[in-house]
Amino acid sequence: MASELTTESYISHHLTNLTCGKTAEGWTCDPYKVDQMGFWAFHVDSLFWSIGLGALFVFVFRKAISKNSDASVAPSGMQNFVEMSIEFVEDNVQSLFGSVKNTLIAPLALTVFVWILLMNLMDLVPVDFLPVLAGHVAYAIAGDAVEWIKGPESLYFKVVPTTDPNITLGMAFGIFILTIYYSITVKGLKAFVAELTLHPFGKYMIPINFVLEMVNFIAKPISLGLRLFGNLYAGEMIFILIALMLFFSSIPIGVLGFGLHLVWALFHILIVALQAFIFMALTIAYLAMAHETEEH
Amino acid sequence: MNINATLIAQAVVMIVFVAICWRYIYPPILSVMKEREKRISDGLEAAKKADDSLEEAKLAFDKELNQAKAEAAEILDKANARASQIVSDATSKAEAEAEKILTSASTTIENETNKAKEELRQQMSDIIIDTTQKILGDEISKEKHEEILKKAAEEL
Repeated sequence: MASELTTESYISHHLTNLTCGKTAEGWTCDPYKVDQMGFWAFHVDSLFWSIGLGALFVFVFRKAISKNSDASVAPSGMQNFVEMSIEFVEDNVQSLFGSVKNTLIAPLALTVFVWILLMNLMDLVPVDFLPVLAGHVAYAIAGDAVEWIKGPESLYFKVVPTTDPNITLGMAFGIFILTIYYSITVKGLKAFVAELTLHPFGKYMIPINFVLEMVNFIAKPISLGLRLFGNLYAGEMIFILIALMLFFSSIPIGVLGFGLHLVWALFHILIVALQAFIFMALTIAYLAMAHETEEH
Repeated sequence: MNINATLIAQAVVMIVFVAICWRYIYPPILSVMKEREKRISDGLEAAKKADDSLEEAKLAFDKELNQAKAEAAEILDKANARASQIVSDATSKAEAEAEKILTSASTTIENETNKAKEELRQQMSDIIIDTTQKILGDEISKEKHEEILKKAAEEL
């Protein structure tokens, strides 16, 4: 029970997910039993925001269509934003993918871009706001029924899903699967295997080729996921550290912290959009590579 | 920050959202956008066509107008010529008439004058003869002095 608020407990509170999993005694979300959960545990907070923001994306885009699906009417409001993002994605797919016709790529890129953008934007909500709110709500609702909720601060709640490597690597994993699927269906299994084994040293060095190509192949999804995670995690970390300046009960440092918060938030808007764009661009690029049939 | 089943859950969630976007979001929006694009380009083309035909109509209109103007000018010229012809004809006719009237008038006047002169002469000679007869008695007869009287009358 973290009754005393220290710098260390503040930071670790912000960096710990609300984890639910199965222990020997059954399902629980007790943060002190995370070690017993093993692999089959879920970060409920990350998944909540991830699914919620994905649903928001679907809802907003669906609404924009149903509201104004007549081509003879000029688009307005949200429809403009929706069409702008589709045009942006279409342009990017067009430039990276060229003439290859695959109707999945553009919707995939759109989903990835808007979804990650929304998840990253959660970073701009003040760091303490949602976790404290969630803690108080959980304590008010389930404080008596659930034995491990001993106070508003015993609920860990991480708001930005992209600061959870499970989320970013999960998406990168999904894209990795798609890459393999298209590599096999477009190039054929033989060509795909040949690509992994016959480069760069020719057919007499197959084991070495395979090891080298495999590293190259697996590094792609891992770097894709970790790049997004690293950028957003670092950004979140800096927000937390700036928020810590308010711990020193000194007015000049508090004012400085306020100013720094503003500056970092402005700068972070750039990172938020840029990382979403990079993830989308790399998604398209990796899938474009999977469609490349010629030798390289 | 452990790697756990969240990763798999997220991958599944992603597949679901991508599938929704692929089936229900992207194609309808894109088709509306494509259709609108087509409508706009069609509209622009139609506008260009209308512009062209307007230009053509303007040219035709100008041509017709010029032709009409030329025709009008021609008609006006002809009318003017005809009018002046009529006027000059009338003038000359009137002049001739006036001349004629004048001539006949002067002839009549002359005749009248001559007649009056003759009458006057006659009367005068009669008066003279009468007077002379009265003065000279019967010495002078009208018949005897016919010659002289006549001469005198002529001299008057």
